[in-house]
Amino acid sequence: MRQAGAYSGLLCGGTSGRTGPHSLPLARIKKIMKGSSDEVKMISGEAPIVFSKACELFIQELARRSWNMTIQGKRRTLHKEDVASAVIATDLFDFLVTLVSSSDSGSSQVATTATVMEME
Amino acid sequence: MADGPGSPGGGGGGGGGSHESGDHSPRGSNIREQDRYLPIANISRIMKKALPANGKIAKDAKETVQECVSEFISFITSEASDKCQREKRKTINGDDLLWAMATLGFEDYIDPLKIYLARYREGDTKGSAKGGDTSASKKDGQSNPNAQLAHQGSFSQGVSYTNSQGQHMMVPMQGPE
Repeated sequence: MRQAGAYSGLLCGGTSGRTGPHSLPLARIKKIMKGSSDEVKMISGEAPIVFSKACELFIQELARRSWNMTIQGKRRTLHKEDVASAVIATDLFDFLVTLVSSSDSGSSQVATTATVMEME
Repeated sequence: MADGPGSPGGGGGGGGGSHESGDHSPRGSNIREQDRYLPIANISRIMKKALPANGKIAKDAKETVQECVSEFISFITSEASDKCQREKRKTINGDDLLWAMATLGFEDYIDPLKIYLARYREGDTKGSAKGGDTSASKKDGQSNPNAQLAHQGSFSQGVSYTNSQGQHMMVPMQGPE
């Protein structure tokens, strides 16, 4: 077992079992990978490790961009709407547009409808 | 909440096995709620690192990011999986994922990921062995042996990556336990 030391920044998983030095549980990542398509049958041992870091980068980038939206609204709490705005404002996150619009019940019903119509 | 199935933290998968997650999910209804998302505590922790100390995060924002991450994984995995199919390989490996990320616009992630991977290969033989026996088959051959030899085979490669990072990790023990 490796000691924390210089690596301790990454040694922060562990809420759902041992995740080792990775900040996200590898088994869960694998399940999500397998769930993404029927064609995904075999996954190398390294693949979830790549994702554990990639997801960390992704979460941080999404959080940063969302937080910018929060600040622009002169608020101090990051809300779902900020995430949605960040997604819509960022080309890289185009693949999430449907998700953030459709999970946005209530307040952004209009946006949901608009997106759905665009899709069809 | 009309869109119950879409919000990960809400239902908690109770409901006595109803098909609540099957409605509009492309991932199918046989996957349990808790298997579709990464733990929200981990997500929250990582998000906080990206925010100033006084920044607060609402629960709905965490849940949205939680969904987004799963979507991200699926998005990249699908692209990598297509590539494997085209090349008639059965196992998705780390390089396939890196390629997929670069293809889909996440090229900024590649360098940090290579550094991370090199550091991992260099230090964590236990993890490699553990990860390697999961689902990689012997047909594709390379993945299992590679994982175990990684700290030798990839070591020279790893050094250059870690040097550029300037944060070399010391691993006191290499054996298991």
